[in-house]
Order: sequence, then structure tokens, then C-alpha cells
Amino acid sequence: MPGNCYVPISMTVDKIRTESDDRTLRTFDLSFRNKEQTFDYLPGQFCQLSILGRGEAPFGIASSPTEEGFLRFTVNRVGVVTTALHYLAQGETIGLRGPFGNHYPVEKFNGQNVLIVSGGFAFTTLRSLGVYMFAHRGDFADITVIYGARRPGLLLYCDELAEWEKRDDLHLHLTIDKDVAGWDKKVGFVPAVTEEVAPSPRNTWAVVCGPPVMIKYTLPVLLRLGFPPERIYTSLERRMKCGIGKCGRCNIGSKYVCTDGPVFSYAELQRLPEQF
Amino acid sequence: MSKVLRLDKKRLDEFVAALFSRYRLFGPVDSGGLMRFAEVESAGALRLDIANPDESAKGIFFPQTETLLTGNQGEVVPTQEPDRPIAVIGIRPCDARGLLMLDKVFGTGEHNDPYWTRRYRNALIVTMGCSTPRAGCFCNWLGSGPFSTEGSDIALTDIGDAILLEPRSEKGMDFLKGIPCEEASAADLRKAADIKERAESSMAGKVDVSSLKSALDRAWDSPLWDELTGKCLSCAACAYLCPTCHCFDIQDEKASGTNQCRRIRIWDSCMAPLFTKEASGHNPRPTGKERLRQRVMHKFNYFVDVYGEMACVGCGRCIRSCPVNLDIREVLVRFINAG
Repeated sequence: MPGNCYVPISMTVDKIRTESDDRTLRTFDLSFRNKEQTFDYLPGQFCQLSILGRGEAPFGIASSPTEEGFLRFTVNRVGVVTTALHYLAQGETIGLRGPFGNHYPVEKFNGQNVLIVSGGFAFTTLRSLGVYMFAHRGDFADITVIYGARRPGLLLYCDELAEWEKRDDLHLHLTIDKDVAGWDKKVGFVPAVTEEVAPSPRNTWAVVCGPPVMIKYTLPVLLRLGFPPERIYTSLERRMKCGIGKCGRCNIGSKYVCTDGPVFSYAELQRLPEQF
Repeated sequence: MSKVLRLDKKRLDEFVAALFSRYRLFGPVDSGGLMRFAEVESAGALRLDIANPDESAKGIFFPQTETLLTGNQGEVVPTQEPDRPIAVIGIRPCDARGLLMLDKVFGTGEHNDPYWTRRYRNALIVTMGCSTPRAGCFCNWLGSGPFSTEGSDIALTDIGDAILLEPRSEKGMDFLKGIPCEEASAADLRKAADIKERAESSMAGKVDVSSLKSALDRAWDSPLWDELTGKCLSCAACAYLCPTCHCFDIQDEKASGTNQCRRIRIWDSCMAPLFTKEASGHNPRPTGKERLRQRVMHKFNYFVDVYGEMACVGCGRCIRSCPVNLDIREVLVRFINAG
């Protein structure tokens, strides 16, 4: 990136959607104020969103580079910056820096089966991956998505998931922790559902994103099913400031999550000191 | 490099004036008893007669606080640096080497840091050989010495009635072309060699740290971390005084009652509990033990992995300023011996 890497790109908030029934998750579709601006990214990368005067925070990109005209982010309201983001109105301007970090290894997935396992609001960059793979559907063999939330109202992108359910080139398994009236899909925790419905590990790559407890119990399931650590990928989160490997806070051992990650294979993580 | 020149001390003002004519000049000053680097307006404020200043020179190029951007949501303007480049005089070899290490962090990689790069890459670094190493100095452990010239454009040696000037880069050589000086005599060079020799032999016993990296590779679960944490106050004085600690925070500020905002960068330290604490409340480094381990590992293990050398120049400031007398040399020796 030439020029000053701390200067954000000016973005317009085009669409805002409240994503969850507890109203803690909002999705923002952003477009460049300068229509000439270009922005190349791949699924799994992240950006720093900022409101000058309030602060800056990192978010995974939820849109796919195959979708033109907008960048999508889903923001969980938890701290100062995310609260300020939730107060944004349509048409307002925010700052964006990025794209930062590496991406899901879509080039390695070429001609292979892909299994996506996700829980809660970590689904954002996996939506990006899913949409990307649908747009290049011929490049990938079987695609399986397992996505769980505590209850139906916490699943992201429900309208879109309904469209995904109609696809005949996707095995989609939605699950909630406890049964509720009107729910006709799976009930149970993500690791258990994974054990039940995961495809054969033969020529299959797994991508797992979710809360730490979900990852902790899903990884052993995948290993037991025969997935080698080299073919299991996850995306890590850390408190970050610069996004470019200089501010010194997101490292795990000698790897920076912002520049060496956020996407790591389980084989890579096994070589790093545990610090989750 | 080219020949060593001799500048009579009576003509030192002339040399400093030449620096003023082309640069914003920084050097050691006495700030109420605290020796630190600051921008000087006249040669008289410079203290070239003192031992290594208490504060390192990193703040000249990486200020403790600086405004990165100002503006409002609609318009954001990056802070402009004055056109006039920076010169530093009286910086010791350890600090000059520290700047080279910081340049690896800020000035390399896919994204270089423009604030650092435009200051450091245009700067003239005039080092002063360290004739009186201080208690706690251990640059000799780290492959350096009190008269090393890494990262120096012009290396000075104080030989009493005169200062010897040795150009160490093309930039330094160009600058010295404008200073009419005689060449140093054989006697001058002998005097300088004696001073260097005396300084080197005055430093405490050197320890071989070549096995430290691999010892730390195996030290993640060492009980030593618990013991060291018992003593450490997590005050971060070591990090702020360290010439190679580069961690920073970025914060936003808004002037009350106006639309004017700024985004500032502030030195930060891995010793602070909030350093890695996430908005959810989760903290990947929850106690002083993980934080102390991070600091030691970052300097003597991770930095080696990423940049090929240890992020320590042996300036001894962390040793001299630690309120509980936690001596990094002892820490390193204990890990080497345990390794």
C-alpha cells in the first residue's frame, strides 16, 4: 500500500441491518466515497473500521470479492468502538484501513471438498468464503457447511441461509443448542453435529471458526474423523491496533496474528506456544 | 571508510553550527538533572561531556506521543513532518544500533511506517564513542561495544583537547566535506585507541549469549517465570527506557464542544494488563507471568525469529532504572544455565 498506511479510506454506510434478535449484532454494507478506489481482497482477510474521535477496531470482511459494489462487516456491540459503530446511521461516513492479513487458502481447496464449521457470530468471514466458492463453484468438489448458534435468533444472515438451503450443490446443516418450537433443523452443539454429518476426510479441507470453546471441542472431533492438522484451518482474533505487524500486541510466539494470520492451519498452531 | 579528521574542541561550535544550518539538531541535554535527548536551539544547551543519557534516543524518531491524524469524520489529514531533516549528536553506539533495530520493525515489511521512515531515513546520526560505560552497561554481550559504529554516519571520539571525526557513511562523508579539518595525527589515533581500549576493558565480564535463543525455545514452562514475576512490579519503566521497545497504542481524542478529533500514537508496554485485554473481557496474557515472559521472549527469542537478532543493545537502562533491582543480565544467565 503506497502512502500513509494509517490514513483510513473514506466509506459511506449504505445499508444497516440488525442481525440478531438481541440486537447486539449489526451488519453494515459500505461503499467507497471515492468511486475510483480499488480494493482487492480474499475471504478471511480483515479491515480496521474507525470513527475518528472514538477509535478503531478490527473486523473480518463478511462480503466476498465476487460481490461488487459493497464491503460487508458484521459488528458485535461490546466496547467503545463497536457501540459507536452501532449508532451509525445510513449515509454517514466511516474510515476503513485494509485489507490486512492472509486469507483462507482457497487455492489449496481447488478441486477438493471443503467443510466449513462455524458457531455464533464468527460466521462472517465464512460467509465470505461460502459466497466466494459458490461464485467459482466449478473449482471445488463437495461443500459442507455446519453452522450453529445458541438459538435461531442468533444465526447471522438468515435470509441468505434460506437461499443456501435451496442449493443442490451444498450440504447445509444448521443447528441450535436447545430445541425451540418451530425449529425443524438440527439440535445440538456444533462438535456433536460435526461428528454426525462431517464428510469423509478424504480430499477434504476443514475451516473452523467460532467461540474458543467450540473450537476446543471441534478440533478433536475432526482429528478423530481423520482430518490431518495440515488440512484444518481456523482464524484467530486478537486485540490489534496497527494491523501491520508493528504495534506489537497480537503475537502468539513469533507469529503476528495481523500479518502472519489471522488464518492458521492447526499444524501451524501446534508449533506455537499455547496462548489462547 | 575514509580518513579520520581532527576537530579542535575550540571549533566544536563551528561543527554544531554546520549541523544547525542543515538539520533540526537533537542531542543530550540536562533536563533538571535528568539527562535526555531533546531538540536544541544552541550549542550551549548540548551536553556532550556526560555518560550515556538516562533516556534513550528512540523518542526523537518514535515520539512518546504523536498525532497521526487530525480532522473530523469527513476529512482526515495526516500530520505533516517539517521538511528539515533531523541530526542527532552525542548518541551512543548502543542507541544508534537500537535505531537500526527499530528501523527493521517500522521501515520494512509490506507496510512501512511513514512517520518513522521519513524521520529516520533522512537523518544524520553522529555517534559519540562511549569512553565511560556506566554501571549496568553490557553492550559487549550483544556483539557490540562502546565504540561500535553500526548505524552511525559520523563517529566521534573525544580525545581531550580535540574530537576525532570518522565518516561512517556516504551521508557522513558528504557532510564532513563542508567542515575544513586537518587529518588526525598518528598520536591522535593512538590516544583514541587507548581510550577505546580502556572503555572496553572497564566493562564487566562478558557472557556468551549464543545459546540463549535455543535455551528460551525450551523455556516456555520454566518455573523461573514464576520466580521472576514475584519480584517484577509490571511498572514498565524498562520498556519506556528501552531503545528497542517499539510497542504502541493508538487512541482517539475529541476536543469537547467541537468536531475536531485526532488519532494519537502513544508508547505502550506488554507489561500493562490492558495491553492484550479484549473488549469481551478475555485476556490472552492474564497475569504478570505471561506478560513478563512476553517481554523477555519478544526481545531474546521472537525478534530473533523475525529479524535475525536479539532486540537488546545492552544499554543497561532497564537495569539502572528498575525499582526492584531486577537485572536482565541475571535473567539471561539463569535461562542460559537452565537451557
